[in-house]
Amino acid sequence: MAIRVQLDRILAERRMSLTELADRVGVTVANLSILKTGKARAVRFSTLDALCRELECQPGDLLAHEPGPGSDLGDPFDDAED
Amino acid sequence: MRLPKLPAIGIRAPRLPGANLKTLGPGSVSSLLKIALDVAYVLLALITGVLLLLWVASIFIPIDNLNVTVSDGADGRQMPLTRPLLLFGVGAITAYFGGFLMILRGLRKIFRTLTLGDPFQPDNVRRLRQIGLILAIVTGGVWVAQGLVAARLAPGVMEPQGISDLLTPVFSILVVFVLAEVFREGARLRRESELTI
Repeated sequence: MAIRVQLDRILAERRMSLTELADRVGVTVANLSILKTGKARAVRFSTLDALCRELECQPGDLLAHEPGPGSDLGDPFDDAED
Repeated sequence: MRLPKLPAIGIRAPRLPGANLKTLGPGSVSSLLKIALDVAYVLLALITGVLLLLWVASIFIPIDNLNVTVSDGADGRQMPLTRPLLLFGVGAITAYFGGFLMILRGLRKIFRTLTLGDPFQPDNVRRLRQIGLILAIVTGGVWVAQGLVAARLAPGVMEPQGISDLLTPVFSILVVFVLAEVFREGARLRRESELTI
């Protein structure tokens, strides 16, 4: 997927840890990790709203679109049961 | 062209009894069925084990002067029991029970996930496909075996199964494969939901 979540950069700028952000937003550290590492398939608006509120930023600061070769990796779960 | 909206006539479908039954999770209908499947599995395993021992014993036991009677209830005829016939008969019955034992094994594992309240697991897709395949093999085997018995052993006494006798089993097998695809889609949606933050 070509959407990148730039959580690392903003956390460093705000001097906040992932655990602290998870507590404030009400999302587990595991789920925030999934978001940070680009493995998430979707983000709810409510989660995006909470992230922007706690990090005092805009959605555009968090999300970036970086198309390129290999950015569309398809659904890793397709035929996973085979 | 838009059709005019009809006024509501105030008829509501009756609420089915047991509509509030808990079907998934601990203490649900699924857990009751799982217990039943466990019991059936143990019984069938014992029966299959005995049949398997019997089949092995059939290789060695003396069968001289033994006859088998083929009858449709009215008339019958006797024929000598040969070792290939004995091995075929006992082997066919053992394979039949063995096939259903494997089906029960798959069903038990599926119902275990239902009891845990998490039905849409990728493994359930594979299990359903296996159940469909075993059902197809057992159904085909029974059809062929009955055809052989009717043609060779009991001509005129037992009628072979026609193609029409396969309609219901084939329909059931296809339904199982369709269910496997439904579970596959469910597992995909479950995964999507897990990765939605």
